[in-house]
Amino acid sequence: MLLDKGKSFGFILIFSLILLVFIALPFFIDLFYQTFLTELFVWMLFAISFDLIFGYTGLLSFGQALFFGLGSYTVTISILKMGLNTELALLLSIIIPMIFSWFVGYFSVKLSGIHFVIITIIFALIGNIIGETWTAFTGGSDGLTFSPPPFRLGLFKINLMDIKGNYYFVLALVALSYLFLRRMVQSPLGKVFISIRENEDRARLIGYNVQRYKLIAFIIAGGLSGLAGGLYGLTLKYAAASYLHWSVSGHAVVYTIVGGMGTLIGPVLGAGIVMSLEHYLINILQATDLVVGIVLVFMVLMAPKGLVGLIQSKLKRGKTSV
Amino acid sequence: MSETPETILKLVEVNKAFGGLLAVNKVNLSIQKGELRALIGPNGAGKTTLLNLITGTLRVSSGQVFFRDKEITHLSSHQISHRGIARTMQITSLFAGLTVFENIWTAVQSRKKFFNPFIRALKWQDVKEKTESMLELTGLKDQAQLICSELSYGEQRILEMGIALSTEPDLLLLDEPTAGLNSQESMVLVKKMRSMLSGQTIILVEHDMGVVMELADNISVLHYGAILAEGAPNEIKENEEVKKVYLGSEHA
Repeated sequence: MLLDKGKSFGFILIFSLILLVFIALPFFIDLFYQTFLTELFVWMLFAISFDLIFGYTGLLSFGQALFFGLGSYTVTISILKMGLNTELALLLSIIIPMIFSWFVGYFSVKLSGIHFVIITIIFALIGNIIGETWTAFTGGSDGLTFSPPPFRLGLFKINLMDIKGNYYFVLALVALSYLFLRRMVQSPLGKVFISIRENEDRARLIGYNVQRYKLIAFIIAGGLSGLAGGLYGLTLKYAAASYLHWSVSGHAVVYTIVGGMGTLIGPVLGAGIVMSLEHYLINILQATDLVVGIVLVFMVLMAPKGLVGLIQSKLKRGKTSV
Repeated sequence: MSETPETILKLVEVNKAFGGLLAVNKVNLSIQKGELRALIGPNGAGKTTLLNLITGTLRVSSGQVFFRDKEITHLSSHQISHRGIARTMQITSLFAGLTVFENIWTAVQSRKKFFNPFIRALKWQDVKEKTESMLELTGLKDQAQLICSELSYGEQRILEMGIALSTEPDLLLLDEPTAGLNSQESMVLVKKMRSMLSGQTIILVEHDMGVVMELADNISVLHYGAILAEGAPNEIKENEEVKKVYLGSEHA
């Protein structure tokens, strides 16, 4: 913690390099892989929003699917049925899930442990059932398709119907969200979240209003999950009730556990690895979930701190042996 | 020097019932500023329960608690912390996965009102300085970058006191600080407590009578949830009733 300065320089360097690689990539890969990567960025964002609530605040929320689904519906319905601008629709895909997460969080953060997990699943299930049955508004399981109108953002003219434009737009927002979250977990507010994860009772005894800060973390995570959903909707030009299903949260859980919780970079790596694995395996066998399951079990047993934890402990051992 | 002592904490007819069991029974208690009050009594006498009622961890069934002349009976733990009461637990309660530095930091920054999500925590120079001075005071400066679970048990107890002190309390509650330590470690801890906690107003729950006799200005004896006797260490030592229920076995 005292050595933050040096680390931050290294981070800026690595972050810029990775960003440059992703900026250059569309010139070397075909449209299929550009779409694949765009979707991957979205899932990375979804995974880091989950890491804020689970990895940093210690709350295993299966409700993130609800906010993801709401985000994608917000974008779709505001453009398709209300004729709003794309940029306004996307802004709403953060705000509306935040309002809902305020409501869900208000009831959920009063509970802890398994009770919290279950109530978040229940809220997501309610959302899913409403989505499936209120077909006039949501399109049910068939979903709704739309075309986002092009728009200007400062100097840039952005057309999301163009796959490359879509790619850069999503990349930019995901990268910004990553920086935003990274700063937040290093901030005084982040320290409060971490203290709640480490020892709720102690945090309360030194004067933190634990329920209030859990709710704040839940609302921020909800807003970012909503943004992920909004970007997913814009990328697929489609939203459906199945995105609201609680099992969608399971993706974020898997990526975060494989990559390493409470690290931000872990869920990003986890999403990259698991989604690439699924993508290449689908050509060989149908049961990709089986392989992902085996990877997950292996990681939980052999590296409970995920890939990032594994790398960190290897580096540490290397240093002490020198 | 004839100024009247200031009462900092006052419990009035405090009861706590768990179902049919009265764990705390009509307790009246006054703590003066600057005093070290030991709270002793056999196992199950209600000592920890009483601390839990003071810190708002448990709700009182009836009665009132006043701190610095203001009622705090129905406040929650975090509010009571901001009124100026801090506490250590019978079973060490730390931020287990964080470093010693981060543990103290988290406690020091708790006195701030707004937690900015857009700045780096280390930008808070005043919090940083206060954290470093607390590390100095606890003598844990050299271990600052260790994960706190790597500390010895005695050091963990000191760290927990450091966390409690970092909230700048007017009253400190210590729940069996020497529990789980051998007699040598206990002596080291008591010595450390003397230098760290001088001038603090303290309620000390303790089983080790040696520690109690050495540190306490006054002693309250709790028996079946009620105050049995109260007085200076010498008076308590000679009190017949106390001997019977508590010191009995040693003095028989």
